[in-house]
Amino acid sequence: MSSISLRNITKRFGDFTAVSDLNLEIADGEFLALLGPSGCGKTTTMNMVAGIESASSGDLLFDGKPPTAKRIQDRGIGFVFQNYAIFTHMTVRENLAFSLTVKQRPQSEIDKRVNAMAKRMSIDHRLDQLSGKLSVNEMQKVAIARSAIAEPKVFLLDEPLSNLDASFRAYMRAELKILQHEFKQTMVYVTHDQIEAMSLADRIAIMDRGKLMQVGAPLDVYNNPANVFVAQFVGSPAINLLEGKLVTEGGNSSLHLNGGETISLPPTLAKNFAKSSTDRVVLGIRAQEVKAGSQNSANEVLVHGMVEVIERIGPVRVAHVHTPAGVVKCMQGVDATHVGEALTVSLPESSCLAFDAASGNRLNYMGH
Amino acid sequence: MKTPLSRHLVRYAFLALAVFLVCYPLVWMTTMAFKPYSEWTTVGSGLSWMPRKPTLQNFEFLFYGRAEGLYVTLDKTIFQPFWASLVTSTVGTLIAVVSGTLASYAVVRFKVGASLPLQVLQLRLFPPLAVMIPVMVMWAFLGAVDTWWGLSLMYGIVTLPFAFWLMKTFFDEVPIEIEEAARVDGCSHWRVFWRITLPIVRPGLATCALFVFILNWSDYLLALLLTQKIWVTLPVYMATLTSAMGGQMYGMKAALGLIAAVPPVIFGLVIQKHLVRGLTFGALKQ
Amino acid sequence: MPNNNHSNHTGAPEAVGYWSQVGSSPERLGFWMTLPTVLLLLFIVVFPAIMQVYLSITMWSPLDGTPWYLAYQNFDFPGQYWRALLDEELWNALGRTLLIMVVTIPIQFALGMGLATLFVDEFPGKKVFYSILLTPMMIVPAVTGLIFYLCFQSTGPINNHLGLPVSFSWLTDTDRAMITIMVADIWQWTPLMFLILLAGMLSVPNDQILAARLLGASEVQIFRRIVLPRMKSVIIIVLALRTVESFKIFDSISVMTKGGPGVQTETISYYIYRLTFGDFEWGYVAAIGLSILIGLTVLAVQLLKLGAKPDSNK
Repeated sequence: MSSISLRNITKRFGDFTAVSDLNLEIADGEFLALLGPSGCGKTTTMNMVAGIESASSGDLLFDGKPPTAKRIQDRGIGFVFQNYAIFTHMTVRENLAFSLTVKQRPQSEIDKRVNAMAKRMSIDHRLDQLSGKLSVNEMQKVAIARSAIAEPKVFLLDEPLSNLDASFRAYMRAELKILQHEFKQTMVYVTHDQIEAMSLADRIAIMDRGKLMQVGAPLDVYNNPANVFVAQFVGSPAINLLEGKLVTEGGNSSLHLNGGETISLPPTLAKNFAKSSTDRVVLGIRAQEVKAGSQNSANEVLVHGMVEVIERIGPVRVAHVHTPAGVVKCMQGVDATHVGEALTVSLPESSCLAFDAASGNRLNYMGH
Repeated sequence: MKTPLSRHLVRYAFLALAVFLVCYPLVWMTTMAFKPYSEWTTVGSGLSWMPRKPTLQNFEFLFYGRAEGLYVTLDKTIFQPFWASLVTSTVGTLIAVVSGTLASYAVVRFKVGASLPLQVLQLRLFPPLAVMIPVMVMWAFLGAVDTWWGLSLMYGIVTLPFAFWLMKTFFDEVPIEIEEAARVDGCSHWRVFWRITLPIVRPGLATCALFVFILNWSDYLLALLLTQKIWVTLPVYMATLTSAMGGQMYGMKAALGLIAAVPPVIFGLVIQKHLVRGLTFGALKQ
Repeated sequence: MPNNNHSNHTGAPEAVGYWSQVGSSPERLGFWMTLPTVLLLLFIVVFPAIMQVYLSITMWSPLDGTPWYLAYQNFDFPGQYWRALLDEELWNALGRTLLIMVVTIPIQFALGMGLATLFVDEFPGKKVFYSILLTPMMIVPAVTGLIFYLCFQSTGPINNHLGLPVSFSWLTDTDRAMITIMVADIWQWTPLMFLILLAGMLSVPNDQILAARLLGASEVQIFRRIVLPRMKSVIIIVLALRTVESFKIFDSISVMTKGGPGVQTETISYYIYRLTFGDFEWGYVAAIGLSILIGLTVLAVQLLKLGAKPDSNK
């Protein structure tokens, strides 16, 4: 119902810069996840959108215009706090009705809407209970319902699912998605859980230490990370990273890995690495792409090591291959691998990501 | 959301009014204490806040029993009452705080005396005068009237509830894990209390002591009833002196009030931050 | 690790046997630790209570010359109690006490609440203002009486600044004397209300207030629906505290008006004082005292029952 534009937004708390020159456009009706580790500035950013904090500099626009209302009361923004902040001294019904009662809507309308919302969130059996006595899961529903019932143009959620148990979390994720589609609200969702972001969002904006690292669709961010940070943060298990020095002799390039081993590089990869600002580079590859054993292909990179650990993620096995340059996790062809085995792993060139070690930037990134 | 300027201005306006109302009587008394006889009752345009000719005459009168240019003398100077207040307040505080601390800890940790908290509270519930006759008779019988220990004992008893409840709220907040860890290491219950818990609540203990001291120092009624000549405390001295002085002597009265008021105010400022705890009996989740 | 026979490093002589066992046993230690309090309680409650009952059924006065334990010679039950019931002066004194309570407590509460709302956010000079505004509470009540005695003099500052003539008296006027007492009381105790109410206000979780704001509630609505309900227990405590103390009001009256002019400012405490040290009717005073005790206890129990509804805030 409303697009949000953040232009050159900076927020300082004394000497500390929480958010630095943030530029982000959120489309009307989009579900955007603000993803990042603790302290990256995502909550501060959202607080600024809500009006709880004001930006030190920069512009915040809704539908292209600065917010018209002076007080945050009048901005029509739905906000779900991490610890719910439900009014524990009131019943569930009073909580849900709150936004309507303060606007003095007629009682019949209030009752109708409260009952409808309670039904959809499956808390109608709790309507007349004191909200302070609910289970955590139910409190969360009340928090979301309470904000949703006001039909805000923009819905902001601050790590709403982080306090819930795992199974309920999955259920709530689905609920949120349905809610969003139904009301077509612009939703901004703060989380540090990349799985959540990946599964819920239309687009993910990744932040680190106050700066926007990358914004894009989930798969885009996954397959096409703009820098090492994004590559590491998104994806599970975490991406394999091998750092080393690029050495070119004649027409052949090789990577002299930290810790000793030198591996030869296929041409395209070598070309990408050559773009690096210094000769220190990082090679990244997802564990899912790493194959056990040489494939005898021209476009593969081979690394040698020993299997130290076999990790099981559900039915899938991940072999942790210890090489002098670090651990390479391998997920393909490891059904029969056992601990202690010497293993050569093959990294297909097409799946390899090249990074500049100094800046962290991806060397063949084509993005915005 | 920054506070708008208008809100600040309104706030400061009200604050200014409040400060004025608070300070008005205090300033009047303070300045009066330094005014000479001639300025005590000037009316109309002659009335001014600051003394035109500030003098220490009033204080001199109180401390030495007479002052230059005055034909009245005092048969009892301020030293003894001041000392009486000091001694009885201190000893009373000791009694109250020691008993209250020990008992409240036992109630909190050892589950003894479950009815103690309420019983102790009762002591504050009733108007002292309604129950003082037997006490006065008892005191007379014990020869405790007009003695430092008689009054101190009464002070200790009467402020015990505050000490008890205040320390109880502090003990309630000491995590039992700390004490249990010490127990596991072999400390007896007493050692845990003495060596572990007490140091933790030391700031609370200090607050409690100061608060109880202020209460004792402020007492008027009990001293009035239980002292006569020798161990009259400052407030009683002040009251009897003012009645004896009759309608005038405003300067002296003001000086007296100033001297009596200063110690608790100073202590109060020191413990300000902590005052709330005991008074709300833990109703606030901190 | 047994510690019964280790020396205790506090320097006290090593106690073997009973005392070191006490230190380890919660029941015994609890007994000894509560002992001083229990003894003091017993001392001040048991014997005086018995004596009070005893005296209340006599017409004894110390002026009689007989020692108190011979008071039974003047046995008179239920004469003293009847007398109390029919005593007009007693009921008037009670009425005046109630009047003071009914006027001063709401005013103190409103002022205290108002001040508290001013102190919820940060602003420059907050600490200084806070200290200044708490000062009256720390002044000796008798001194407060003196302060206002000085201020309310016909030749004093109040008359002067209000432009009132010297003939306009406060302390000696039958109608206005009560006002001076009330003003002194309000001045003295509003800071206490302020202190406690502020603490209660600050304990209201800030994100609930934020949430309410974001849901569209105005500041007034937030105060009414969120802040006030969550302050309920603190409000009850502070009102109970002040009510109990206000009933006992004595110091300022003794210093400012001595119950006068006439008996216009005579509260129940002062009336009892007059009977005790003016008329020396100690038997009667005992009866009054006991009646008040019983009356207040019954009242307190009733109020506790009322207030013992399940607390919804936690």
